[in-house]
Amino acid sequence: MSVIIRNITIISPGSPVHEKTDIGIAQGVFVDPQTLPGGKEIDGQSSWLIPGLIDCRVNLREPGLEHKGTIASETKAAVAGGVTSVVATPATDPIVDSPADVRLVLERAGASGHCRVLPTAMLTQSGEGAQLSEMAALVDAGCVALSQGNRPFRSRKIEFNALKYAQSLGIRVILDSESRDFAGGCAHAGRIGTGLGLSLNSPLSETLGLGADLDLVEATGVAAHFSRITSKNSVERIRKAKAEGLNITCDVTLAHLVYSESAIANLDPNFHLERPLRTEDDRLALISGIADGTIDLIVSDHSPHETGAKLAPFPETEQGMSIAEGIIQLLMQLDKKSELPFEISLTAMTARAGQFINRGDLGAIQYGNSADCVLINPNQTTEFDDSNWLSAGRNSPLIGATLPGRILGTWISGRHIAGR
Amino acid sequence: MHGPAALQLTLDGRLRHLLTTEGLPKSLITELLDTAETFLSSQGQPVKKVPLLRGKTVVNLFFENSTRTRTTFDIAAHRLSADVVTLDIRTSSASKGETLFDTLKNLEAMQADLFVVRHSAGGAPFFIADRVTPNIAVINAGDGTHAHPTQALLDLMTIRKHKGDPAQLSVAIIGDLKHSRVARSLIHGLRGMGCPDIRAIGPGTLLPGDLEHLAVRTFHRIEDGLKDVDVVVLLRLQKERMTAALLPSEREFFNLYGMTESRLQLAKDNAIVMHPGPINRGVEIANEVADGQQAVILDQVTNGIAIRMAVMAMTLSTQQDDHS
Repeated sequence: MSVIIRNITIISPGSPVHEKTDIGIAQGVFVDPQTLPGGKEIDGQSSWLIPGLIDCRVNLREPGLEHKGTIASETKAAVAGGVTSVVATPATDPIVDSPADVRLVLERAGASGHCRVLPTAMLTQSGEGAQLSEMAALVDAGCVALSQGNRPFRSRKIEFNALKYAQSLGIRVILDSESRDFAGGCAHAGRIGTGLGLSLNSPLSETLGLGADLDLVEATGVAAHFSRITSKNSVERIRKAKAEGLNITCDVTLAHLVYSESAIANLDPNFHLERPLRTEDDRLALISGIADGTIDLIVSDHSPHETGAKLAPFPETEQGMSIAEGIIQLLMQLDKKSELPFEISLTAMTARAGQFINRGDLGAIQYGNSADCVLINPNQTTEFDDSNWLSAGRNSPLIGATLPGRILGTWISGRHIAGR
Repeated sequence: MHGPAALQLTLDGRLRHLLTTEGLPKSLITELLDTAETFLSSQGQPVKKVPLLRGKTVVNLFFENSTRTRTTFDIAAHRLSADVVTLDIRTSSASKGETLFDTLKNLEAMQADLFVVRHSAGGAPFFIADRVTPNIAVINAGDGTHAHPTQALLDLMTIRKHKGDPAQLSVAIIGDLKHSRVARSLIHGLRGMGCPDIRAIGPGTLLPGDLEHLAVRTFHRIEDGLKDVDVVVLLRLQKERMTAALLPSEREFFNLYGMTESRLQLAKDNAIVMHPGPINRGVEIANEVADGQQAVILDQVTNGIAIRMAVMAMTLSTQQDDHS
């Protein structure tokens, strides 16, 4: 079936903004509406049509952690945030480290997912950082990249071997740089965390790890992606390494663009994250990193939890925030505050993300591309409250908030998806 | 006021809980110290028994071991004629897997009036105060490296008694400030009382990163920092600091920062020497200073009972006014 969406403004990376235009969708791809003989028409009411977002770091929790969230609940939440493709972390139970695990995730996603699910798996068996996983088989099964998550390799030598092996097979690796010696601590080692007497995490934990990882990436030549960088110093190192021609990309979490360490001043456990929120200076450097392309992607690092996981004193709560269903609205808020133009943040979650997962047909509204798109009214707002919250994880500062932007419709491969 | 500190006051500014000295207004600190003084006899000893809290139940919730602090809270509650229940949670529910939240709800159901909480996690008493039924008061008896407000208040009481208004004084705090909830709470308390000159003395590995923000001057050489101070506060040095490579040895610490008679002469004449106890002789303090005329360490212990009586009386009277 074909559809024509009329009277819209198309905002798509790599193309000038088209106002008062129409787009056609047929056989799952975008087409020139003039080539369509007819069919269903939708009045876009002067709203924006943007490519569906690609979120390259989402914890779907299934299999094994269904008390925190399911593929059904969390992909539904993601769709409500403007997302049409998610890259799932391997942090499930069992941890994804075999082709059978990958197939299980894909089967479950096919059965109950509301959007496209792209799996990743561990670089090492059981994620223990000791023995290499069957990387070629994992990629054959459908993984878009392999990672070690936030688990350490047993040694830098094993990490070197994993990267070298991946490089020889042309596999992209995702690294969460961290120095084991400086790891831990539930708050940034700054004024707020110190004042609250919390265990502290120094930005050195990241930069020491990043320095060593960059050396290994350079030595092996692997295509590496650095995930969840949090500090100004890290942005500068990545910028320098890219200038030197290293084959790397990196991402920042949306929470680190929106919030800084002051968010924990009230000990709200929703702000207890795996990577602590750092200073306002760091936050602004991360935003600049997105703006100048040093940081390639914005990811949600969506981490739903059951209520009990956050019902304890701050340091004893589990880490992570449920944030997926507010992604597009938070990007629009950053734009409204004149901190990060929407067109730029959009690129970091569409075109650049499409390249990252080697899907040239995703991330831009172009004839022939997969018709993944979101119709959004920038002048309306979305209210998030207990009654309309979709994620199984209620661990979110967004509950009770009203943010700019309202999604009017979402299409994935030309199929209309029910939203909020 | 913002932040968790706001939890401890009622909307009209009375003391509902005591969680931190941060942001505690001068008027309330003064009222606490004044009240504590009324609990001291003319000989300067805490009164033996008053019926102020008869029929009230005080529950000591100690998630972390502490004999000394717990004992002083016990004595204070008994002298106010309250019933006291002490729960050593480490050996009871927590080890059975019950969450703090569920423990709390169970104790609430037992009709307690006041919780005295010590916990190794910074912010735990705030978590409890945020969730208890409105007729229960919470007193923080030490949470992680965050706060120990009753210790700070007894220090302020001791300082005021011996040296007068803190707004006219120079105070030096020496040693491991980084891991000390005592030091942090005292700094906030001194700031609340308008103390114009607070100094921190210690090696870089034992000083926290936010002192400048708290308007505390830092000194790495004790000879520079002690000059002309009215009050010297020593902190206990834990043995763990050596194994964590923050310090080479107790001997080197004493050589650099130990309070000796000759160093004490750099302070003003009649400066007082304080220590939250228990003291390590020959580490933070030389024998002749510990046993000397200027040490007020045992007076701090006495004042500690009176302060805890005052905090219990004031928080429970706020509860009573609001719920009678």
